[in-house]
Amino acid sequence: MLTFLALTSVALLGIVPEQSQAIVIYTGWERHALVGSDIRLSCSFFSWRWTSEDVTFSWTYRPDGSRDAISIFHYTGGAAYLDNKGPFRDRLEFVGNPGRRDGSILLKNLELSDNGTFTCDAKNPPDIVGRPSSVRLLVFEKVPIQAGVITGAIIGVVLGLLLLIVVIYYLMRFLVARRVFSLSVSKHGKKKKEGSQQRQLWTPPPLTCYPLP
Amino acid sequence: MLMLAGIVVLHITTIILLLVAAIDNAWWVKDSVSADLWGKWELTNSNMWHYTNLKDYPEDYLQAVQATSVLACVFTILALFVFVAQLFTLPKGMRFTFTGILQIIACLCIMTGASIYTAKLHVNESSGGYGHCYILAWISFVLTFILALTYFILRKKKE
Repeated sequence: MLTFLALTSVALLGIVPEQSQAIVIYTGWERHALVGSDIRLSCSFFSWRWTSEDVTFSWTYRPDGSRDAISIFHYTGGAAYLDNKGPFRDRLEFVGNPGRRDGSILLKNLELSDNGTFTCDAKNPPDIVGRPSSVRLLVFEKVPIQAGVITGAIIGVVLGLLLLIVVIYYLMRFLVARRVFSLSVSKHGKKKKEGSQQRQLWTPPPLTCYPLP
Repeated sequence: MLMLAGIVVLHITTIILLLVAAIDNAWWVKDSVSADLWGKWELTNSNMWHYTNLKDYPEDYLQAVQATSVLACVFTILALFVFVAQLFTLPKGMRFTFTGILQIIACLCIMTGASIYTAKLHVNESSGGYGHCYILAWISFVLTFILALTYFILRKKKE
């Protein structure tokens, strides 16, 4: 029995990894940043194999509206090679840890022309079959909402007034009703009838009725 | 019953139109510019849309329009809740005055806002035209007015 179980588990271990031996790369989906700020584009991967010494990371950039992608970063053989001719020269920094399967890069001093798609491709030999993953970068100018002090003041004052009016209305109704009730209690008998009559006067007499469907 | 459902549907439609007018970005539209009360989208040479501040608008008038459109939305939503509450608490044969008051305030707010926008902003510009949000603002003015009148005339059914 035990030998049968051992044999089947070994057979399964042999079959299953053959199909799932693809490297899976993870980056973000979309990143937002302000002009002039820095942003860290993260890239990591999952692989059934141990992290090899020949692990490679490479980043490519495709501007918005363009069909060509250029290579901006490559890590191989334990050394990182950054862009020194393209649009990111002197603005790129490698902040990843290849030993821990992290191939993140840091983009500094963003410009509006950096809008585009960044693709990370990682290879962990012998595990090289995989699909590169892309992250879309959106660069914005500073805070565009232009609601100011006057807007807030007008809204606050009007809503405050409304609240005040409602509170005062209900307070007046409550106080007048209580005064009528206390009058009727202090002088029993006759005054009580007058009090209940007064309360009836509060409901307005029906005017001409419009028939409702 | 049908009338009640019709009024509620109309009220919800008005709320949606007011919210779209206040939030969506098309009060003033040109070929490459689309502006509303909060910011402006501009199309640059490299075929990218930039969202920027409204730099050259008269600040106090713009903020007044912002405040009144927000207030119009708030009051008309409040009016819907008050209407539903009054359906249950109002004595029979009475009118829905509180709802009507809130709705007429909302009507006045959106009228003020749209009028200020028409009179004070974009007066000297030669190209471009008003976008769909501006039109929706005026349509919701008409709808809130009709609804306010309805609430002032309507009476709760006497069984």
